[in-house]
Amino acid sequence: MVLQRYLLSATRQYTLKRRILGSFRQTFCELRYSYSSDSTRKYTDRHEWVVVEKGIGTVGISNYAQESLGDIVFAQLPDPGSEIKAGDECGALESVKAASEIYSPVTGTITEKNSEVENKPSLINTSCFEKGWLFKLKLTKPEELDELMNEEQYEKFLKSDVEKDH
Amino acid sequence: MAQTMMRKIVMSGACVVLGITRRSSSRCLVTSSNNVTMKKKDRVLPEEEEITKSVFMSQSTDIYTNLALEDWMYRNMDFTNHHVMMVWRNEPSVVIGRHQNPWLEANISHLTEKDISLARRNSGGGTVYHDRGNLNITFFTPRERYDRKYNLELIKRALFRGFGIKSVINKRDDIVVRDNYKISGTAAKLGRLTAYHHCTLLVNANKADLSKALAKREHGIQTKATESTRSAVANLADIDHKVTVDSLQTAVGYEYLRTPALHLEDGGQGLIMKQRGFQFVNPTDNWFPGLAELKQELQSWDWCFGRTPVFTVSRTFPVPAEILAPSKVYTATQELVINMTVEKGLIDDVTLSIPPGLIESGFHGEASVITHLKGKRFTSEALNALQDAMLTRHLNSDVKKLDEKDQFVAKCFDQVVNTI
Repeated sequence: MVLQRYLLSATRQYTLKRRILGSFRQTFCELRYSYSSDSTRKYTDRHEWVVVEKGIGTVGISNYAQESLGDIVFAQLPDPGSEIKAGDECGALESVKAASEIYSPVTGTITEKNSEVENKPSLINTSCFEKGWLFKLKLTKPEELDELMNEEQYEKFLKSDVEKDH
Repeated sequence: MAQTMMRKIVMSGACVVLGITRRSSSRCLVTSSNNVTMKKKDRVLPEEEEITKSVFMSQSTDIYTNLALEDWMYRNMDFTNHHVMMVWRNEPSVVIGRHQNPWLEANISHLTEKDISLARRNSGGGTVYHDRGNLNITFFTPRERYDRKYNLELIKRALFRGFGIKSVINKRDDIVVRDNYKISGTAAKLGRLTAYHHCTLLVNANKADLSKALAKREHGIQTKATESTRSAVANLADIDHKVTVDSLQTAVGYEYLRTPALHLEDGGQGLIMKQRGFQFVNPTDNWFPGLAELKQELQSWDWCFGRTPVFTVSRTFPVPAEILAPSKVYTATQELVINMTVEKGLIDDVTLSIPPGLIESGFHGEASVITHLKGKRFTSEALNALQDAMLTRHLNSDVKKLDEKDQFVAKCFDQVVNTI
């Protein structure tokens, strides 16, 4: 009897703990998500991505773009200090005899270019979201980010774009 | 603007539309430039049968004008419903890829001597030689419909249909004949809305001039710039003497018009009749407002040479025994080493390693000489600056001309900056 009661209370306590912990974990995740949504990746219809942290945007090209370009042999990147508008041509990537223009997703002043990529352009192929970033810029019109696609929208756009193509 | 230009094209006496005149006058060559700035997401690409095609024949043989025309069309025309193939040829010129080093790819001093133009194009790829015996073809399409294989296959079909010449497209997208002799080189530029693919076709180009202009020399250049791949070349006229630049242009032009826009199939005479046909274009600022400016940019030193990716040069020159200090005996070879970094075509950094023999014989003042070189173009301009600096130094010591040691150093510099 005593044992039974003990077991019952133990189970109750356990389930209660689980429930509290669970809900805590959930809110923590939600918090973390809403906090980090500022720095989520946004995409353009030209397959560039931008991640903004503390007003500085890091720009690169998407995995789809990297794959369709093939082996990148040369990266021409914008010089720090230059001011560029969203949609401006600001460099080029060369792969299999084709020069593909790079356009900036947002307006701002270039603060840094990835010299590692200049020395080793294949980094764009092997790590397009991490080591293969192209340049950083200080955003002057952060509201432009709202016009860009999020991950999910971009995936959808990719599907329709690929269908259009073939 | 676009409308008036169209009228000009239609009304101009120089505009000869072979084959079909009906359709071309009723449609617009250039649609509103608003289309070019519109959002790509909103663009709807037409079905294949709605696309019409034109063959443009440039009336210029000037490399800079033709490259400017290509760039003008890329920037201003909308190819959504209208695909264009442009054929053009040039007076002797060497055309380097967008990210190449002219000092590495071309024999610059030979080009100057023979009055051969050097041009940098906007597309990627390697260096090619053009003369009147070479036909250039540019295929313009919307970015999404850029298809190099289609274009090359089309040329291959034209060669076979027109002349019975069998050719192969290799892994590098070169068209080769017989035992891998290259007759065509390819390059492309991809933009947001528009893309073009252009290629060369050797018909009866001067092969001796070609190899002299592109001759590989001692240069000591280290760079990340795109390098060319050397290939053995052949002229189509050597395979079949019936091939001329004109007959090839006609053959490829008709093949383009008889092929549907998105897949390879023979649409025959019926399809040719549906196209807009062959049109002569006169690349002048009247026809293409803004063309002159684009041409000027393409002709400038800053574009042709100044756009060269950063590079370093390292050259070693043995010092002749007669200018070493006579009283000493040197066991090791006395060598002058010149190292330079060149950024945007301008000398950024220079180091001279002067062997003991040259110092002991009285050569000095190199530090002041070097500072004069910074910011100078990697041309004879740098050599002149060096000689001037050396002379200024001598002015203080009442000697008005360069001594043999200075002359030797100047000669080495000449070889560095003129890549001799």
